[in-house]
Amino acid sequence: MASPIRILTAVPICDGHDSAINTINLEFIRHGIEVIYLGYHRSVGDIVRAAIQEDVRAIGISSYNGGHVEFFAEVVALLRKRGSDIRVFGGGGGTITHEDAAIMRRKGVDEIFFAGTSLDDMVKFVHQRYGKPRGKRTRAKRSDMELAHKLSEIEDAYASGKKPLTLNARRRMSKAEAKQNQTSNIKHQTSKVIGFTGPGGAGKTTLIDELVLRFLHQNPKGRIAILSHDPSVIGEGALLGDRATMINSQDDRVFMRSMATRGQAGGLSPATHDCLALLARSGFDCVIIETVGTGQEAMPFRKNGIVDLTVLVMNPDYGSRLQLQKIVMLDIADIVVVNKSDLQRARTAHTEIEQRLQQNRRGQRLIDTVAKRHRDPGVDQLFDLISMVGRDRSEPDWHQACQTRGREKS
Amino acid sequence: MSKLGQVIESIEKYNKFVLDQVRRARTDQQFGRDLLGRWNDIKAKTPITRTPTGLPLPRLALPEIDEPGEIARYLFGEGFPGEFPFLNGAYREMYLEPVRGVESFEKNGGRARPVRAGLASGAPAKKLPQAEEPTRLFSGLMLAEDTNERFHYLTQHQRTHRLSTAFDGPTLYGIDSDADGVFGKIGEGGVAIDTVEDMVRLYDGFDLGSPDFSASMTISGPAPIIMAMYIAAAKRRFGPKVVPKLRGTIQADIFKEVQAQNETIFPIEASLRFLTDMVEFTTREMPRWYPISISGYHIGEAGSTPVQQAAYTLSNGFAYAEMFAARGIPVDQFGPRLSFFLDCGLDAEYIALARVSRRIWAIGMRDVFGAGPRGQLLKLHTQTSGRSLIAAEFKNNLTRTAAELILAYMNATNSCHSNSADEPFTTPSEEWIRLAAHGQAILLEESGIFKHTMNMLSGSPGMKAVERAVELAILDEFREIERLGGVLAAVEDRYQRSQIQNAAHRYEQQIYDGTRPLIGLNRYRNGSDDIPEVKLARTPRKKQQLQVDRLAKFKKKNAEKAKRALDKLAAVVERGENCLPALLEAVEVCSLGQITGRLQEVVGRFRPMV
Ligand code: B12
Ligand SMILES: Nc1nc2c(ncn2[C@@H]2O[C@H](COP(=O)(O)OP(=O)(O)OP(=O)(O)O)[C@@H](O)[C@H]2O)c(=O)[nH]1
Ligand SMILES: [Mg+2]
Repeated sequence: MASPIRILTAVPICDGHDSAINTINLEFIRHGIEVIYLGYHRSVGDIVRAAIQEDVRAIGISSYNGGHVEFFAEVVALLRKRGSDIRVFGGGGGTITHEDAAIMRRKGVDEIFFAGTSLDDMVKFVHQRYGKPRGKRTRAKRSDMELAHKLSEIEDAYASGKKPLTLNARRRMSKAEAKQNQTSNIKHQTSKVIGFTGPGGAGKTTLIDELVLRFLHQNPKGRIAILSHDPSVIGEGALLGDRATMINSQDDRVFMRSMATRGQAGGLSPATHDCLALLARSGFDCVIIETVGTGQEAMPFRKNGIVDLTVLVMNPDYGSRLQLQKIVMLDIADIVVVNKSDLQRARTAHTEIEQRLQQNRRGQRLIDTVAKRHRDPGVDQLFDLISMVGRDRSEPDWHQACQTRGREKS
Repeated sequence: MSKLGQVIESIEKYNKFVLDQVRRARTDQQFGRDLLGRWNDIKAKTPITRTPTGLPLPRLALPEIDEPGEIARYLFGEGFPGEFPFLNGAYREMYLEPVRGVESFEKNGGRARPVRAGLASGAPAKKLPQAEEPTRLFSGLMLAEDTNERFHYLTQHQRTHRLSTAFDGPTLYGIDSDADGVFGKIGEGGVAIDTVEDMVRLYDGFDLGSPDFSASMTISGPAPIIMAMYIAAAKRRFGPKVVPKLRGTIQADIFKEVQAQNETIFPIEASLRFLTDMVEFTTREMPRWYPISISGYHIGEAGSTPVQQAAYTLSNGFAYAEMFAARGIPVDQFGPRLSFFLDCGLDAEYIALARVSRRIWAIGMRDVFGAGPRGQLLKLHTQTSGRSLIAAEFKNNLTRTAAELILAYMNATNSCHSNSADEPFTTPSEEWIRLAAHGQAILLEESGIFKHTMNMLSGSPGMKAVERAVELAILDEFREIERLGGVLAAVEDRYQRSQIQNAAHRYEQQIYDGTRPLIGLNRYRNGSDDIPEVKLARTPRKKQQLQVDRLAKFKKKNAEKAKRALDKLAAVVERGENCLPALLEAVEVCSLGQITGRLQEVVGRFRPMV
């Protein structure tokens, strides 16, 4: 089976008319299309960057507040400037006239859907126009595009049941190798890889975005990659909406890729492992992977040696202490975060989880955060902790170090 | 139990109270006789008016009942217009033409003050000017001076000047016209406002301190900054004494931004705090100002069902009341300063949606929040549905809007905006605006539907059926929100958003599967796919550049002072004080974008919900 069609949708800057695009997103995913939704009030730069990183077939733009001729044209122009083959289509009800649409087509827009077009027609268009497998592509001009293409190749290979490309990524470089590579070729340097997992809605995405904000601030030249997952059923579409909420991660120094799980249980996609391995040796200072789940299968990479550090993000509303006993990840994670510690149950959750961790005697750290709060000290603390990893990846003795640091702070 | 839970209880209790009164009127003879006496008395005292054809009609129509139980059901269950629980109207006379040939007129209990002409008791006047035309048309285009010209055009025949301002995209998102990527959006869909100087130009020639002037501003995310600019502009023109006289409304409704309109710029909690600052400030300093317009319009237009619209709007309103009370603002100060804004489309629910909403609000405010009579009133602005207007054979939109207007008046809205037929295409052009405004005048002034008799179309069995069904459905929605932990929790959970999105999806599907007939689109289509010749209002690039240049000049001129003002503002916000006084200083020397940016450094940016 071929990979589902991947489309990115968005609403232009200074425009919050998202009702049409929300409906269209729902309709697309019902018909097997994977939609990466970037949200409303989005600039040309954000849209093009996201589309290239996600390596979508096309961008669907829904524009209502005017200036559409210029906006669509700028998106097309920037794509072409970057050497991208991504197509552009869209609509805006009655605000886009036939004359406007003619100009927009001349400027490289594939299709404009007028008011009164049925949802079926749009779905049909996408299937017909963007459904055929992509031809062989020329080598990308830019490294982020090249990386995006390679990630697509991995996903496509898994989707068609072919053996994935020989990535040989499972093997981690020896310390000596890594050290040697540091000076010679950036391509082979391994990044620090951090896995975030936890129950649905615990605040993982919010937390990651807050960490990215701090990372970009503290490392004026640093680059970071994020691999995020959303569940989907095989052969069906998916709405990948994390980008819309990750306001701090829309930056040229952040490479983000959204993956649908495509039927695989446990919060991962069949292609996750290889994609992660590829990202880990693509010269980022840090690679973050987000998956949903509290069982071992949600973050199996620590054992493989790809992930350096596993963070379990908990929601204080997990239920009873008994529920806690069943959470395998609590034994595996290096750091456990009780997010939403603004909620009432957070104190109890902290105590219960603390007891559980003490039984493990592994020096796991427990941190309370309020990810949704601006400049949350808990998130600062988590950031400091994470920043310490990676200096010596053999056996982290950072537990010790952090504990003292943590104490100094409080 | 949360306040919303208490509101649910209060409605149920009140409904039970009404039934008890009905029963008592039937069993307690003395009580029954009193009610009947009161009823007959009121009927007898109702003034009679004569239509131009000479037909005598009562100025208040009442049901033909003479049984005490039914009278009790009416008096307690719905109330006369202007009486608790205000089902029939917030005021007594509303659209009624000033008294002309009144045959018997007695001062009718003197309870509620009519909105219309100050009815000098019994004085028959020939051609009294109407005190406040309910027409209020939303407008804003290009630069401040262009909108100003439009304002003057719109009000040229009106005695009272009630302006309703639409802002362009950059302004709505609190950014400046010189921000990255916004060139092309300047002055589109609304007026571009960057500085207090623009604000001075916007309302030039209007007497901001006059009791006949009021300005409404449709903006929420940056509302505190824009309101500060308005105050500053008024002070520049009329001196500091004008402040307590300022009349107007600013939308400022944050919950519905998060739920439907997508113009939140600060995190929810910070936004709510700034809103409360504004309410605290205006209740103290600007007693004639409405610091919030609790809006269902955007919820409805985003595609919700009518019941969702009413339920979310009312529950948002109760959540605000709870917040303002928690800040220590007395309910009798903020209650009367709350106003509402609802959508009116063509679905059957709209026959009574606003009526039921008014009743729920009154009961909740009285019985849960302890509000006095003025704080119980849901004062309503209605806009006909933009979304019901379609591009195909767009002239049919005139009929749609006319039908919606009738529904809006049947719900006794206090003011109204009627959409132009070219709504699907562009900021309305003058030709179609004129028709839209005249639509209201035709219904209210020309036709005899609303001007002779209050309650002319109220109380039909169908309307009663809708009222019952809608009220039950609204309470069910309240229960769901309550179950989710109240309004704020439900909002953060995206509950309302996802409900609205599902309803919108269903609505569109129904159009294309034919369940929802749209004349000219999926029924009686004329075949030719005619998109009409419409005159598009576009902001020329030269004008946009002019705005950018003006802003640059302003920024250069004030660079030094701006820095100090922003530092001060940031410190005030960090300390948790009311931000309005510092904002008032800041707007003198800072642009909208500068202020937004600095505030975001302190409180963070809004993380959009999808
Ligand atoms: C709903 C609506 C709103 C809602 C939006 C709710 C929401 N969350 O989306 C609310 C009330 C909040 C709103 C607010 C405003 N609005 Co408005 N709004 C509309 C309205 C009534 C309908 C648009 C709509 O969603 N239609 C439903 C969709 C599903 O159908 P459609 O538009 O016909 O689109 C079809 C196709 O074009 C296609 N399509 C559309 N997009 C895409 C994208 C892709 C990829 C594809 C394949 C297809 C496709 O799908 C549809 C099905 O056939 C229009 C007027 C109208 N009747 O069209 C004004 C309108 C778009 N709004 C307008 C304006 C000015 C505003 C405001 C700026 C007003 C202000 N100053 O405050 C604000 C700004 C809001 C913001 N945050 O940006 C103007 C724009 C004027 C212009 N461009 O010149 C319009 C045209 C009204 C007018 N005449 O003034 N609005
Ligand atoms: N009360 C509270 N809510 C939070 C906090 N952090 C995040 N949230 C909210 O929790 C919800 C889910 O946040 P996400 O960051 O999407 O959670 P997630 O774990 O990535 O969710 P999935 O990827 O869907 O499993 C959002 O509505 C956030 O606003 C917090 O610290 N406190
Ligand atoms: Mg997530």
